[in-house]
Amino acid sequence: MKPDYDLAREAASGQEAAYEVLVRRYQGTVRGLAHRLALNPAEADDVAQAAFFTAWRKIGSFRGGSFKAWLCTIAYREFLQARRKQKPEIEFDESAHIISFDTSAAALGDQLDLERALKTLPENQRICVVLCVASGLSHSEAAAATGFPLGTVKSHVNRGVETLRKRLATHNVA
Amino acid sequence: MQTDEQYDDLTALFAETDEALQNDVFVKQVMQPIRKRVRWRAPLLFGAGGIGVGAAVSQASGLIDVISARTPTVEVTLQPVDVTLYETIMAQPMWVAAAAMSVLSCAAIIAAERA
Repeated sequence: MKPDYDLAREAASGQEAAYEVLVRRYQGTVRGLAHRLALNPAEADDVAQAAFFTAWRKIGSFRGGSFKAWLCTIAYREFLQARRKQKPEIEFDESAHIISFDTSAAALGDQLDLERALKTLPENQRICVVLCVASGLSHSEAAAATGFPLGTVKSHVNRGVETLRKRLATHNVA
Repeated sequence: MQTDEQYDDLTALFAETDEALQNDVFVKQVMQPIRKRVRWRAPLLFGAGGIGVGAAVSQASGLIDVISARTPTVEVTLQPVDVTLYETIMAQPMWVAAAAMSVLSCAAIIAAERA
């Protein structure tokens, strides 16, 4: 498997075939990230697409390191831009983050339970969990992407993971 | 302090969901506009560059004559700008416009690429 850096260099020189390999390699990660962050599922793929377009335009500025982290940072920023364009009435309400589980979801398996549990987290916690736990960024990469202090990211991830585990356990027992 | 290893199980669960999101249609949707752009970019850049080079070449001989004819004067004393140079350039305004347009096009493309 060709390394990300080599593919990115080839893409930067205009070889779209190399970029397509990167899109295939990371489409799941970026789409997953967008689906978990976006409030409206319909906009999630738009965010993911916009992220890949922006990454293509800026591929020349990729200077090595983790391509996934670089791409996820772009996707996160596209999510923020998309959210700014949304109407105020559908903005995330942090005070209303505790949502009871739909018991009909019990049969849909651990993955769906996890995705649902994720949606119940407060927004900043959810962002940090999505970037670090779901997308696999390090705490410092997530801190660089979000602009949150490193300690805040760690604390959000800790609390988020703890909450997810509790809810999954409760749900599995129920 | 929490370390990355402590939620590997959750990461694996998320990764399974991500795996299920693999979709050729999405890749196509991303790559189609990119391919179109790549297809237009090279002819546009080379076209604009070609126009610029053409304009420069067409003006070169006239400019060299004017400059070489005026060089001794410039060496002796600083004089007000000679109208001959200005008139030579303005005699072919189409080429001047073409050269300016090509420079602007290249600048716009470069600016868009770096944005």
